Order: sequence, then C-alpha cells, then structure tokens
Amino acid sequence: MTIISSEPVRADLTLWEIGPYHSSLPAPMRLKLRLDGEIIAQCEVETGYLHRGLEKACELHPWRAAIAYMDHLDPEVAIFGELVLCLAVEEIGEIIVPPRAQRIRIILAELSRISAHLVFMVRMAKAVGSETIVHYLLRDRERILDLFELVAGARFSLNFLRFGGVSADITDGFIERVLDVCDLIRIRIKEYNDIFTFNYGFLKRSSFVGKIDPILVKSSGMTGPNARASGISFDVRKDMPYIGYDQFDFEIPLGRGEGGIVGDAHDRFLLRLREITQSMELLKQVSDHVPIGEFQNEKIDKEYIVPPGEAYARIESSRGLLGCHVVSDGSPCPSRIQLRTPSVANLLAIPQFVSGIRIEDLPVVLASLDLGIAEADR
Amino acid sequence: MRISVFSNIASYIRSVFRGAWSIAESCTTAFPYILRWGELRKEITEGYPDPVSSKTADDLPPRSRGLLFNDIDRCTGCKECEKICPAQCIRVEEEPGANNSKIWVSVYDVDFSRCIFCGLCVEVCQPASLVHTRQYEGAAYHLTDLIASFGRGQITAEQRASWAALRQMSESDEVTL
Amino acid sequence: MMSEQNSWIIAWCNSISFLSEIPGWAHALLALISTYCLVIVPSGALMVYLDRKISADLQARVGPNRAGPAGILQPLADLLKLLQKEATKESSWRQNVWLSVHTMALYSTLAVMPLGSMALLVDTEMSAFIPFWSALVLALGTMLLGLSQDSVPGWFGGIRVAAQTLAGSFPALIALLCVGVRAGNFRWSILANCQDFSPWSWTFLSNPFQFIAFIVFVMSGLVLLAIPPLDGGVSMSDIHGGVSSHLFGRRLSLFRFGRFFGFFFWSIIAVVLFLGAWKLPLQVSEGLRAQEAFRFLATIELIWLLAKTFFLMLFITWVARVNPRSRVDQITDFAWKVLSPFSLAALVGASICAGWKAFL
Repeated sequence: MTIISSEPVRADLTLWEIGPYHSSLPAPMRLKLRLDGEIIAQCEVETGYLHRGLEKACELHPWRAAIAYMDHLDPEVAIFGELVLCLAVEEIGEIIVPPRAQRIRIILAELSRISAHLVFMVRMAKAVGSETIVHYLLRDRERILDLFELVAGARFSLNFLRFGGVSADITDGFIERVLDVCDLIRIRIKEYNDIFTFNYGFLKRSSFVGKIDPILVKSSGMTGPNARASGISFDVRKDMPYIGYDQFDFEIPLGRGEGGIVGDAHDRFLLRLREITQSMELLKQVSDHVPIGEFQNEKIDKEYIVPPGEAYARIESSRGLLGCHVVSDGSPCPSRIQLRTPSVANLLAIPQFVSGIRIEDLPVVLASLDLGIAEADR
Repeated sequence: MRISVFSNIASYIRSVFRGAWSIAESCTTAFPYILRWGELRKEITEGYPDPVSSKTADDLPPRSRGLLFNDIDRCTGCKECEKICPAQCIRVEEEPGANNSKIWVSVYDVDFSRCIFCGLCVEVCQPASLVHTRQYEGAAYHLTDLIASFGRGQITAEQRASWAALRQMSESDEVTL
Repeated sequence: MMSEQNSWIIAWCNSISFLSEIPGWAHALLALISTYCLVIVPSGALMVYLDRKISADLQARVGPNRAGPAGILQPLADLLKLLQKEATKESSWRQNVWLSVHTMALYSTLAVMPLGSMALLVDTEMSAFIPFWSALVLALGTMLLGLSQDSVPGWFGGIRVAAQTLAGSFPALIALLCVGVRAGNFRWSILANCQDFSPWSWTFLSNPFQFIAFIVFVMSGLVLLAIPPLDGGVSMSDIHGGVSSHLFGRRLSLFRFGRFFGFFFWSIIAVVLFLGAWKLPLQVSEGLRAQEAFRFLATIELIWLLAKTFFLMLFITWVARVNPRSRVDQITDFAWKVLSPFSLAALVGASICAGWKAFL
C-alpha cells in the first residue's frame, strides 16, 4: 500500500528515502521524503513489509486455531485481537458469556492497554533520545507481563480467550496482584512525570509538533487516543459498550493542549498517560465485582461448530477502533475473517500533516502516532 | 499593544530558569537510582544466564507454556493435535499395534522451529499425554536439532506381519469366546 | 620550550640510562607519545567503563558484566570487536583525507594539554586559545567528512556539526575571557596558579559571574563539540549519528575515540580554568619540590586533575542520560540566545570585579 499526498510532486526538492529499517521509524515501513532544507515538504508512505497473510491464514485453520492467529495481529497487545474475534463469533452463535469471564476479559484488556501505552512511552522516549526513562518503563511493563504469564502461561501470545469465555479460571490471588501492580504503577507515574513528561527538553521537542486537525481526524478515519488527543470524543467502550464496560463508571480523557496546542505530539503523550490512570481506576472497580461462577459457557466444547452466519464486532484497542467481520458457513474453518485496524487510518494521515516539520521531529511525530505496523499490514 | 522591554527580559530570564529547574529536577529524581535508595529503586534487570538468575524453571507460574513433551505410552495417536496446530509443527504417523486396543505411534515429531507455543495441542489432547514442560531453553546450533521426536520408531516388515497375525489371533479368540 | 615545565619527562628519562642522552626534540616527542599512550587511552577506557556502569546503575540495569570481573575489560572487548569488523563498503579517498584531517586536528591539541605543573609542553601567553583553533579545524574536518559521504545523513550531520561549532565557540571564547580577566594572563601555569587546593579559592566560586562563566563554558563546550545532551548534530534517532552513519570498523572506532577525546580535553580545560586545576595543598607540593621528588609530584598532580575531570564528565553524562536530546535548531538558538548573553554579562561582571580588586 502506498499513500501519497494529493499535491503534485515537486522535483526541485531533495529526495530522501527512509526504510524499511531505520531508527526513526517505529516499524518496518518506507518513507519517501521531499526535503526543503531540513523541512519536510512532501511525504509518501509505503507499507506492506510485515504482511503475513493473517486473514487468509485464519481461513485455512480450524476456528480455535484462528484465535492463536489473532494473537499475532498485533503481538504487543495480543488480547485485543482475540477479543474482537471472540465477540464476533459469539454474536454469530448467540453464545452467552458468563459474567465472570466478562470481568476477566475486562481485566486482561485493561492490563494490555496499560502495557501498550507504556510501550508507546518507550518509543516516544527513544525518539527524543532520553534513555533512562526507557528502562524504567520497560521494567514496569514487565510486572504486567508477569501477570499475563501467571494467568495464561505466556507473556505475549496469550491465546487465552475462547468462544464463550476464557480457557482457564484466574488463579487465587490474581486480582490482588493486579491491584498491587496498579498501585506500583501509580507511584511510578509520579516518577515518570518528574523525569520525563514535564521535562523542559521533552516539552521543547514534542509540543507544537505534529498537530493533527480534527478535520483530518475525521477525513482519515482516525480513532482511539490520537483522535481523542485532537479533541474528538469517541471511545467504543463508552459509545458502543461491549463485555460489560457500561456497568462501570469511567471517563474518557480528551486532549487539552497543556504542553502546547490541542492535538500535538505532547498532547498525545499526555493523553495516553491519562488513559493509563483511567485504566487503573477501571481495574480497581472491576476487581470488586468479579462474581463467582463458571468461566466458560459449558455448551461450547471442543466439538463446537460455529453456525452459518456473519457478524461484525468492534472494540477499542489501545490504538483505536478495531473491527472484525466474520463469515461462517458452518464448516470447521472460518469462511472469511476481515479486520479493520486502527493503525491504517493513522498511516493514511501521515502525508497530510507531516509537511512543514523538521526531519528531527519526524521520529517524535511517528512515535506519537503509536503505529502498529503488524496490524496495519496484517 | 506594546510589551515593555523589561517584561520581555523578565520572561526570558524566567524561561531560562524554568528550563534549568526542570532539568535539575529530572536529574535529581533519577539520582537515587545510582545509590539504590528506597525499596522501589532496588529492582534491577535480572542477570541471565549468569549469575544464576533468581528465576529458574521451578519459579515459573504453573501455567507456563514451555517445550512440549509427549508421554508416548499414553498417546493414542488420534492426531487431534496435528489437526488443530496453527503452525503445523506436529507430525504423527501411527499403525495398528500388536493388539487391537493399542496403536503403535511410530512417528511423533514436534518441530520447535515452527511451534508458536499456543497450547492448543495440549488442550485438545484427550489422554492428556501431551504436556507443556517448564523447560524454556531450546536454543540449538542446527535447525534439525530443534525437532523433538517422541515416536516409538518405524517397525520392520516382519514385525508388521507378526503383529497382524497376533491381532488376527486375538480377534479369532474373541470370536470363539 | 624545554623549560622547567616539562621536566617530568626529563626526570623519567634520566632514570633510564639509554634515554638520558637523547636530544630535546626527542624528549618532546616522547612526552607526546607517552601522554597519548599512558594518559589518554587509559582514561578513555576507564571513562567508557565508568560511563557504562554508572548509567546502568542509573537505569536500573546491570551493565557490562561478561568481560573480566565486573565487566572491567569491556572497553577492550569493544575495541577488538570494532577493529576486526570487515569493511562493507569501499571508502572514497576524500573520506580518508577528511578523516585524517579531523584526527590530526584533534590530536594536535595534545601538545597544549595541561596535565600538571610539571607537564606543560606548550605554555605560552596564548595557550588557552589554541584548543579553539583545533576545535574549529575539527568542525571543518567533520563537516567535510560528512559532506564527502554522498548520503543524506552525512550531509545533515556535517552541516549541523558546523552550525553547532559556530554557535558554541562564541560563548566559549567569552567565558574564557572571564577567567583571563581574573588571572591576568592566558598561560596555563598562571591560570592554574591563581587558584588553590581549597574549593573556595577555585575560580568558579570566586564570584557569581565566574560561576556563570563556568556554566557557560562547560555548556558551550558541549555545543561546540556536539557532546550529549546537546548533540543534535550527531542525533541517533533521525540521521543515524550523522557523520558517523557511514563509518564502520576501524574508522568508526577512530571517530568515536576522537569524540571522546574532545569531551575529555574540554573537561580538562574546564577543570584547569575553573575547578582548581591540579593544585595540591601547598605544603604537599612545596615539600615534594623541596625533596626534588618531581616524578611523584607529577603523578599525584595528574591523578588529582584526572579525578576532577572524570567527576565533571560523569556529571555531564548523568545529565545527558536523563534528559532528552535537543533539536539542532534549539541548540544553536540556545547557544546564541542564552549562552552568549549570559557569557557577555559574566564578562562585564567579572571585569568589574577584577577592576574593583585592582582598585582596592
């Protein structure tokens, strides 16, 4: 996929091609920059370097193996890929998910969101060359991965959700450990703020840089934290609640432009920091309401065949609206699985707003978009 | 509106000091780490593989998915694992065994270079012969070393013939009984 | 030239029988070579080790721990690894020329390096200015090295380094003048002699303006030589280290060591100008002089000087590890709009202070 800006290409500018592997890129992709001095005049994005044929691979395997494939939709946040497939299949089969399983799903999803946002902050810190905070952030993400390992047996590719529930019950003391980790991260966030968030050098690097217009957000279909940082209040958890998000009380933070203007790179950073806090609030609420009961719908056993039909499910992943269209024809394998991933919209927007920034800001802007090339190329 | 020179200078000096203060604040926040002050700052990266890490295979959580192990005596050769495997890393070949109730699993190869450790094979295993071990160190020098074989081995033609005869006998016994 | 100042090398030579007869120029050459091999290279290795270990502590990591006990041999391992790297691309003759110009400019400063009262090869009235000449030649070499690379990161790296050097040299020179105003001369020995062992007698604490001058001097050195955190010219995240992006193996190790040397040299100058140089307690140095233990005196002066230098370098590294790298236009802005006015204010203030003292 090549994304070019609408203006005609100017030949009088320096051409600089970056990629597929370059330290200013968060993931394998290719940028064709036309430079006017050190200022980017035009930009072209080329993706597809991480294409794995994921949608096709899902069609070739049994339904249950498709969950294992959806783990790899975005390896950093495996749970969202699983969740969206499970929700779509549950809609087709009209499977009722027990409340305990719903709560476990929320806990895992929110933990994944925190971990994804921590990784986002790592990318941001690396882009501006601040080394110390990178290690602190990764150290704290490790605690969350420990929780995943405890409950699912793996740190990244969880393969934990099943149609109609989850594959195993949470272990004793898991919820207490989740709360401990939340408390720890709450303390750490104060430290991050002191070291990094409001550091003068970081403010200078990221505020007023890479502003995204609300108009551009709408025209390119951006969702998630990037759109909310530009002031567009849209969150699937709030607007189209799933897995019982509507039973909890939480707020959707919006960009306020504290560092510079609404919708700049620093705003996107701050917004994700707030989302971490908000996710922890949510975790605290959920942990009080984990009912005792079964964790898996008993009707769904190993021989379960998804009935013919189709469904579309959408969730709020850490990067935005993640949609999944599933078609079943009653055979043991899915007939079609199609995904709508949030990072594609972010990629589409790049050529529209990077012109005019300096090449030194390019890593910061790209990092602040939180691109998941794995899910964009899929 | 004209802004006076003095307020310009004042705001200039204020911004210089704000920058200096913020940088000093960042540095002092990180400084206690050098001396490992406070409980929260004691945690550091674990050394691996030496000095011997605090995390050994026994410390892993009970559900950790390590390398696969198949207890071939209990394996029925039903090939469920082969069918479900998303990475197609399991290869099973089986033959009828010496008596009717036994299946001779001649080949049971797991290719760990393809395995994604999703755990689906363990989940579908009816006799629970396939399990995840706690072993996680699977590095090898050659790709072929990554194939773990649990099968009982190919049988010769004579064995096949004699087993077929044995089965025949037991069948006829059953009939006579 | 062959005055009392470099008597340390004569003292050492006289103790070895076959070296006692050699002519003066050979003494000077020997002094340069031994300074490089016995002071610069080991300090480089030690500094790399300390830097890596302390930043590992800062970042809640372990740091090098494989090569030797507690990873002490890590610098050697790094060097061996870089030396045995194969060249993947033929380098052009222009690149070789500019790399050698760059290296020569760098190491020409060895001759003016102040390493103690007994170890001053060149101690003229203009000594303190000679490093600036070297820094400018160094910037020229680096810029043309970058421009000769036929790659976008090289061009940007080269131009940015040149811009930074121009921006940084003005406040650095003014800050140097502040010290000269206090000492009355730019001779290393005189600049050092106006200070004493106790920190209260050091130039940077003598009055607030000298303190500003010290801060400005150190920071403009960071700008001038593109040392972290003010190293936008060799920024890693967008232009892959700029000039060094297309260097590898031996050339890269030469370039990197050159950058270390620049940092080291600047810190030594800062220590000599502002932080009490090599001055030991008066009784100690006088006593050793009286006993004619020149070798011992030279050694402990060097150790004291290097200890202060390392402390300053580690301080800067600490700041650099925690804070983000600045953008190159912000760095040049900072040098022109913040460092320069402050250095001028410091110069005015220091002159008034000096005049006040003279009047008294």
